[in-house]
Order: sequence, then C-alpha cells, then structure tokens
Amino acid sequence: MSGLISDEIAEDYKSSLEDLTTNDGIQIRTLTVIAKENTEHAMAISRVLENHIRSTPPLQKLPALYVADSIVKNVGSPYTLFLGRNMYQTFMNVYTLVDGNTRRKLDEMLNTWKQPAPGSLDTRPVFPPDITRNIESALIKARTAALQQQQARAQPDILSRNRGNGTPTGWSNSSTPPQNMSRPPQNHQYPNNGYSNSTPPQTHRQDIDLSYLNRDVDALIASAKIDFANSPFNPVSQQRLKALVDLQAILQKQQLAPDQLKLVRDQVSALAATRPPSVGPNAATNGGPAVSVPPQIPTPPAQPVSQPLQQLLNHNTLAELIKTTASRQQSTPPPQMPAALPHMPQYHQSGPPPPAPENPLIAALRARGLLPSGPTPPSLTPSTSTPVSGRSNLPFILPHGMQPTPSASSQTQIPPNGSSGVPMSTASMKIPRFGLIVSLYDSRPNRCGTCGRRFLTTDEGKEMKARHLDWHFKTNQRMTESSRRAQNRSWYVDERDWIKSREAGDENGAADPQTTAEGAAGADGNTKQEPPKPWIRAPNDATLRNTPCPICQEKFESTWSEDVQDWIWQDATKVGSRVYHASCYSEVTKGPAPTRQARTSTPDSVLGKRKAEGTESPSQKMRIKTEI
Amino acid sequence: MSLPGLELTQPSEERSQAPAPPSQINLTPGSEWRFEVAFGHIIKVKLLNGTAELFGTELAESQTYTFTGTKAAIFTWHGCALEVTAVETTSTTSDGVTPTVGHGAGGCQSEYTAEETPMVEYANVHFALETMREEAQSIGKDGPRVLLLGSENTGKTSLAKILTAYATKIGRQPLVVNLDPTEGMLGVPGTLTATAFRTILDVEDGWGSSPMSGPSPVPVKLPLVYSYPMQSPLDGEGAVYRPVVSRLALSVTGRMAEDEDARETGIIVDTPGILGTDKPGTMELINHIVTEFSITTILVLGSERLYSTVARQYDNKPTSSATAAVFDEHISVVKLSKSGGCVDRDDAFRKATRESQIRSYFFGNPIPSSSPSSAITLSPHAQQLDFASLPVYNYIVSSADDEDEDEYDPSQLGTGDSFLPGGGGMDDYASQETKQDPDRAAPLPGVVGSFSEHADNVNANANANSSSSVPLKKVLPPAPSALANTLLAITHAPTTASPAEVRDASIMGFLYVADVDVDKGKIRVLAPVGGRMPPRAIIWAKRWPGELVGLVG
Repeated sequence: MSGLISDEIAEDYKSSLEDLTTNDGIQIRTLTVIAKENTEHAMAISRVLENHIRSTPPLQKLPALYVADSIVKNVGSPYTLFLGRNMYQTFMNVYTLVDGNTRRKLDEMLNTWKQPAPGSLDTRPVFPPDITRNIESALIKARTAALQQQQARAQPDILSRNRGNGTPTGWSNSSTPPQNMSRPPQNHQYPNNGYSNSTPPQTHRQDIDLSYLNRDVDALIASAKIDFANSPFNPVSQQRLKALVDLQAILQKQQLAPDQLKLVRDQVSALAATRPPSVGPNAATNGGPAVSVPPQIPTPPAQPVSQPLQQLLNHNTLAELIKTTASRQQSTPPPQMPAALPHMPQYHQSGPPPPAPENPLIAALRARGLLPSGPTPPSLTPSTSTPVSGRSNLPFILPHGMQPTPSASSQTQIPPNGSSGVPMSTASMKIPRFGLIVSLYDSRPNRCGTCGRRFLTTDEGKEMKARHLDWHFKTNQRMTESSRRAQNRSWYVDERDWIKSREAGDENGAADPQTTAEGAAGADGNTKQEPPKPWIRAPNDATLRNTPCPICQEKFESTWSEDVQDWIWQDATKVGSRVYHASCYSEVTKGPAPTRQARTSTPDSVLGKRKAEGTESPSQKMRIKTEI
Repeated sequence: MSLPGLELTQPSEERSQAPAPPSQINLTPGSEWRFEVAFGHIIKVKLLNGTAELFGTELAESQTYTFTGTKAAIFTWHGCALEVTAVETTSTTSDGVTPTVGHGAGGCQSEYTAEETPMVEYANVHFALETMREEAQSIGKDGPRVLLLGSENTGKTSLAKILTAYATKIGRQPLVVNLDPTEGMLGVPGTLTATAFRTILDVEDGWGSSPMSGPSPVPVKLPLVYSYPMQSPLDGEGAVYRPVVSRLALSVTGRMAEDEDARETGIIVDTPGILGTDKPGTMELINHIVTEFSITTILVLGSERLYSTVARQYDNKPTSSATAAVFDEHISVVKLSKSGGCVDRDDAFRKATRESQIRSYFFGNPIPSSSPSSAITLSPHAQQLDFASLPVYNYIVSSADDEDEDEYDPSQLGTGDSFLPGGGGMDDYASQETKQDPDRAAPLPGVVGSFSEHADNVNANANANSSSSVPLKKVLPPAPSALANTLLAITHAPTTASPAEVRDASIMGFLYVADVDVDKGKIRVLAPVGGRMPPRAIIWAKRWPGELVGLVG
C-alpha cells in the first residue's frame, strides 16, 4: 500500500466530493465506481469521505452520505469496515445538523442498512447490526427524551424498557467477509458471480423475547386505538393502527427468523417513540422482504480474513485511524483574514480629510507618468471608462482632483444631509468620500445615549432630542407597567389606512400623541377640540374585565391612554353596574349619542358597525401603533 | 420532525465549558467585525468607545445589544472598541436546534475582523441618492426609486438596511419595499411588504417590529403586507407574483402621492435572490418591477453578468414614471461589490430564520436573559374555529422548481423493476400522503402555455374579477389535515370577494393552525389578536412558509 498513491487518490477523491452539492445520482454513481476501482486505497478514500461528510455544509451532507451508502451497498468490504467504524459518529453528526426532511431521508437510509444490499445474494445487512442498532437506539433515546420533554402521552412501560443497547454476540468487525474486490463496476446491479452464495452468516443470535415483543405490540395497538378514536380521520393514525394489527397477525401466525424478529422489534421500539413515519418501514417488514430472506440457522461467523485486510488492520493502521478520527473531531478554527489587506486610510474624526500624503507609491507612479502629475481636475461625471482602480481600498491611487475637496467637508459648506453632487454611476461609487461621512456622524454630534440616534446642534435639533428622550422615558415607564399585562401583536392596517398613515417618529410624537394620531388617520388632524369619546378605566377585577358587552356580547379591549396614564376601555359606558359599548348602548337607547360624533370623526370602513377598539378603528389603532 | 434532546447521545466537552470571559475587539477605522451566532446561542455586544454601526444603524455607547441566530457585521468609520460576551443559555431551543457553541469570541460560530469592506461604495450610494433627493426636492419631482438586484447571499437586504438606516439617520423617510417572499420584513415569510421608515432600525432584530398592543423600546414600524405564499416569484410562471407586485406598487405610489416625506426620499426595493439568476423568466419579472415602481436606479450586487445584462437593457433609458419626460429622468445602472462578509446561509439557517420570524410574530421577541426592558412577550389567543365558516383560499400553481431530477435514493438502489428489498414501504407511505392532496401539483390550465400573452392579460385584468385566470381556489370542507402547522393569512377582503380581489388584498394578520379536527370540522388556531375572527377572506400559506412544527407546545 503506497501511502503516496493513496494520498493522491484521496486528494482526487476529495475534490470530486467537493463538486457534489446536490443529490445527483450520476455523480454519486461515478464516485462509487471510483471507489470500487480503488479498493486498495479504501482506507484513504473512506477517511476522505468521512471527513467530507463531517465538514461539508449541512445541505450537502445528505448527498455525501449517499455516496457512502452507495459504496457500501455496491462495493461492500472493505468500505463497510472502514466506514462502519465511525458510522455512528458520522451519522449522528449529520443527523443533528439537518432539517426534518433530511432526517426522514436519513431514517429511510438507515432502514435499508438493516437489510441486505439490494440485488445482492448476500443476505447479511448492509452494515453489521450493531452499528445500525447503536444509531437507532441513540435516535430512539433522543426521541424519547424529546417526548418526555414535551410530556406527551407517556408510555412508560414501553419506553422505560431499555432495549437495543445490547451488542450482539458473535459479531466483530474483523468478521466482515471480504467481498469481491474485482467486481466489475456496474450501476444498480450486483453481478451474480456466484461468489456471494458462500454461507451467508447469521448476523446475530440475540434472543428475542417473543412474549415481550407481543406485549409491546399489544400496548402499541392499544395506544394507537386511542389515537384513532380521538381522530378517526387522521390518516396517520389509521395507517399506524392497521400496520400494528398486521404486525400482530404476522407475529402470531408466522415463525419469523431471529433477524426478522429483530427488525420487527426495532420497528416496534421506533414506533414506541410515537413517530408516525416509522409506519412505513414497518409495513416493509411484513411485506415482501421478510419472505425473501431465507431463515438461516445461526452459524457462528468464521470468515477467513484475507491478506490485505489483515494488513489494513494491523496496529499501525488502527492507530492511525483512531488518530485521524480524533483530530477530525476538532472543529476548524475560525478563519482569519489575511493581515496583508490594504488598510483604510486614517483620517481625522471631525475635521476634513488631510490632503493626500505623498505616498511613495503615488510618487513612483507619478514619476512613470501613470498618474497625472498635478491637480488636473477631471470632470465630476466620470464615464464608466475612467480608469479608477477598481478597489475601493486603495483610495490614494487616485488623481488629486478626485479626492474630496477638504473645504467641502467643513460644516458650513456641507448641507446637513451632506451630499455635494455625488453622481450615481459605477465609477463614482468607487471614490472614497470620507468628507461626506461627516454628514452621518459629526454634523449631528448630539447623540442619544439609549439608542444611538443623532441630532443636530441647532435649537430645533435640541428640541427634537428633548422630545426623543421624553419618548424613551415614557416608553420605559410603559414597558415596566405593561409587563404585567398580556400584550399581543396588532392587526396590520389596510391599504387605505397605510396610505393615509404618516410615520410620526419618536421625536415629535411624544409631545402630543393625540394630534399626530389623528393626523395619521387622515382625519382633520386636530381632535383636541372634539368632545371626548366615552371611555372608562379598565376595571381591575378579573371577572368584570371578562364580562362582555351585554348588547353585542363582545369583550372590551384595554388600551393605554396617554392622557389618563392608565388602561382604559374606549367607547365604553357604565350604566348601573354593567358596562356597555357606548355605541351599542346609544344605538339601543337612541339616546343622546356622544358616539355619533365619534363615529363621524372616524373614517368609515367596510365594516358597518364598529367599536373604537374592538374592530380596529384605524384612528385608534394608528395611535397605538405609531405612538407607543 | 423536531428532535430536541439529540445531544444526549453525544456528550460534548464544549457544552460543559464555562462561558468564555468577555473579549474585547478593537476595530481600526474602516474595518468591520463579522460574526455569526447560531440559533439558540446568545451573545451580548457593547460599544466601549468610538463609533460603530450595524448595517448602517449606529450603536449607542455602553448599551448592551443581544444577538442570536444572526450573521452580521459591525462596521466603524472612526474606529471603536467592542466588548463581546457569551450568554449562558439553556441547552436547547424550543425548535429543536441544538445550539452550536463556536470557538470565537463570546462563543460565536465564526467571528473575525475584516479590513476590506465595500462600505465606501455603499456610503457613496447613499450620498448619490441624497444628491438625487435634493435635486428632486428642488424641482419638485419624486425622489429616487432604487432597485437592488443580485443572487442569493450577495448582501441585498444588508445594503437595503444600510441605505434605509442612513436615510432615516439624516431625517429622511424612505419607503422600503420587500419583494422577497423567502424572508419576511416586519412579519412572516411568504409576504411582500412596503414600509415607511422614519425611526431608527432595530439593531438586534433587523428591521424592527410591527405594531403591538404594548410599547416597544424601538419605535414600531407600520408595514403594508400582501400575501405571496410561494417560495419563488417564478412559481406559476409569475402569474401570481406580478399582480401582487403591481398592487403593492399601486399602494406605494398612492402613499408617495400623499406623503411628502416619502415622496422626496423615494423607494428602496429589495428583491429575492432568484431574480439575480439566469433562470428563464427573471428578466421579465425584473422588467415588471422596474416598470411598476418607475425605478430610477438599479444597483447590481456582485454579478458581472447580471450587471451587463441589466445595464444593456436599462442604463440611460427613460424611467417609466409619468413625469420622466418632463424631468428628463433616466435609469442608471450601477455595479457594486459584494461584501466579503456575505456568507452562505444554508437551508437550515434560513429555515431557522423563517421560524423565528413566525415565532416572533405571535410571541414577540423574548430573548432569554436579555434585559427585561427590551424583551417583549406577546400572548397570542388560541381559539377554535369552524372550518366551514372560513373562506379559505389556496393557490394552485405548479412550482418552478418541481423538475424531476435524477436523484439518488438509498431505498431505490438497484432499481430492478420487481426486486426491491430495500424498504419500499416508506415510499408507499409518502405517496399516500401526496395522494390525500390531489390539488397539489395540478397543472393550471391556461397559465402554463402561452405565458407572455397570458401575463399581459393578468395585468390588464388585474382588477377585473377575471376569476378564471386567478389560480386561487376556495378550500372546501372537510378541513384538509395538511392545514395543521401552517399559516393562514387573513386578508382585508370581504368574504364575498372574487379570487382576484382576494389575491390583491392586503393582509391584516396571520393565524397559525395548531390542530385540525377533521371529524368535527374544527381547527384550533393561534390568532395574534383576541376576539371574534374578522369576517374576511383567508389565504392559506400552504406552500410557503409551509409547515412549522411545534410553534404551540
């Protein structure tokens, strides 16, 4: 085994694997063929493959694992051996990182591993059962834990029984029979060269307690019946019940071989974890495959280990294997950016950028005539062909005139919003204009300490900041108060309200919420003069709070009132000991309708009758939305 | 299937480690600290001195920011020092993802300092847009309408955030349009949204939060939401995507016409990555968006090929705005570098992101062990509804991604026609499951064939109740069991609306179906707001975001 060649092949294989980003059958087949043709480098290839599965992004893990699947099914040993050794870690690592859909695919794949390779006459499962069983029991444990966490229908007598952990006797890694190394590369089809007819060894001889199994199935059927009774039209529970009953029949009528029993048992344990999708494979066990596997009398596996395999398994290689696995488990350090990147030029925080220093590079370039020697002012509308060096990080390799003129960045000349004729073109975008950054920072030095907003130093700016701070203060106050009450997301506004709404902003909203609110709603903008709408303070008594309006049977909704500084019920009126919607009450009594005014001031809506807070009168809602 | 507790099988040394001590990160001016935090893991970041911004939103000094399930970067123009601390977490998240504790500072999966960033370019885009805004202001035309294009993971949404944050920082109010159904903005995935941003973006939570009944430490944003319950805009040949985009554009235009601030600042349109690929049909969709939003500026991230294609078609062409001729308005196509910090978000991460978006829609954003003042817990209301009384609609379209590829299937190995020892049972099960649902991949008559003419028809008849062309079918009782664990979008359309009206209706909220009782015809749902269910047409978000198991525990 030449390490050098192995390395080369591994390297090639690695790069081919990296091209595999989707579940591409052709690519996977090709990778399988390569593996098949290079069985003498199986260890290197397996290692590369494992590494790849581990390091590739979660999205690409499934295809990579499919490569492993395809190899063990089509090529078999020695890949089964090498890949099988770390399959538990590999599989679990993938399983933890992928989404539910992929997990289902992984489950499906795992199920196929418990059966003989399709098309092969070898009746042993793809992977030795202890590998698949370890994975399965880990998954079951995880699901159980998840279930217990959710405190979902516990099935203690099933779940608490520890199963699936026992490593079967009579199976060890070294007993993996070498398969035909010179198997011609063929897709899909295992050649019938007669070789694999040689005594298919019994995979395990674990005794399976049939009565236990029957009892488990009974328990499952019982719970499935309950499920079914609860939701008779749920196809999942239907199927599940049917599958279980079928299974029971099979168990009672037929004598199953131990490995079939084991399959059944595994399925039952999986089912016990109440995961509906496992119904599928369960059906498979009582279908065709069960019959196609001839029951074998347990024979201790005594496969001759071939010469190359022994070589592969000598101490050194093992140590190497272990070492490589261990080193692989350390995750890669975070990438470091190369320090050689060009630096952004330093410049003063507040002042204009200093005139470009005579960079030696610039001088050299200038000497060679690559740069204009003087401050030749180029036109300010550079065409796309302007040979501005494409990198924005080399600002100083620029003609002088392209530099932002230092004077332009002084505060007096820059308009507050700081644009001085910047043209919108690709070339123009590359020109650093640090002078203009001032408009984002230094021209607004008045900074809010809470949220980082900046304000102008003008009187207007100061006033805005004062109002802004006021807003913060009030919001904080409200936050503390409201934490005691349940809050909820509001409905979104409709098109009309949205078009009419105006973003109040915090710096002018806090001063007079009422005004901006009504303005936002597109009303006349000043509701201060309007007679107040009827409202009452929201009662503190819980029963009273949950009592609906006797007329329309709808509950009242509490809104925060800025003016009252308390929670109120809008459009509510108290008559005697009962609280009515003012609009409902006035409608019924035809009384002096204070609400009529309220209603006319409210924009009409598609809904005929509406309560101020119950069905989102836009004006009310808008206020809450924009002001709070 | 969620499987918490898997970690039981692999006792890991890492997990038993004591949390790493706070580490300090010093950034030189113009560099950024890129970090990835897995879901279930939490880090705290504090700005010690200097200035720092996360996707354009400035961090306040000495305030603690909490991150989980994030891949982001903190950039500094002036240099800064950050302190990063890992937070002790419970071992599993509720969605079954085992948190992976990385080796980086604060237990980040990955974190490093990068000195090469495209921030100069991105800031220049902002300044150029600002130039356009000032010009627009002075002559009274509309502000710039920006379209971001690029394939997956090129930083489109990050750039959208940067441009939005810069604009709001200087007092502008951009209308931000999210046309990417794979990720929600201020809501759940499977939606197209428009939002006016005036207040600061949420550093911890991307865009921020939509309104709640209670207060929020970061001002809430008010989105306009449309349902597009499909993953790809190309699904159904774009026959659903186009009209929804048109409708959204109509509302945005309406807002622009009335809201002076929005009009001056303009629009920022974020797109799904699939539009940056060369799949057939993408250029038509891009053209549709450019036309509907009267795009003035197209920013292409990363791809040279896409840039040249788009530039050839649009650069210097007049915009579709009605006033284009008056103001001599032309489209400019600009190529921008992709940030080296853009990392691939694999499907698992994206899925976790989607799930957390749905979760926070219903339950708020209670990051454990963060300061109680910033954690908001929402209480959705569970209730039982009679399915027969609900006007639930479902989109019946064929997916663009349904191509049958030659896939490797371990159970199908050695596909001898008759001999299948390797577990065909699972397949039987799967196929039965599909059979329950005959509508799923049913071809849509009329849509598949003559695509372009048909699409034009759809556009022309968008509001003309041409129900035959809208692949929206009412789901009749009995309640399909596939409803379980999916979202229902409540539209603002009345129950009697035609399919076209339902499709074009904005969304008022989402229900999560926790349980389906097929027998009794009842479904148990989680609603954001309590009280009687509003009598509105409902769109079943069956295809996207699809199933979310375990939201209700």
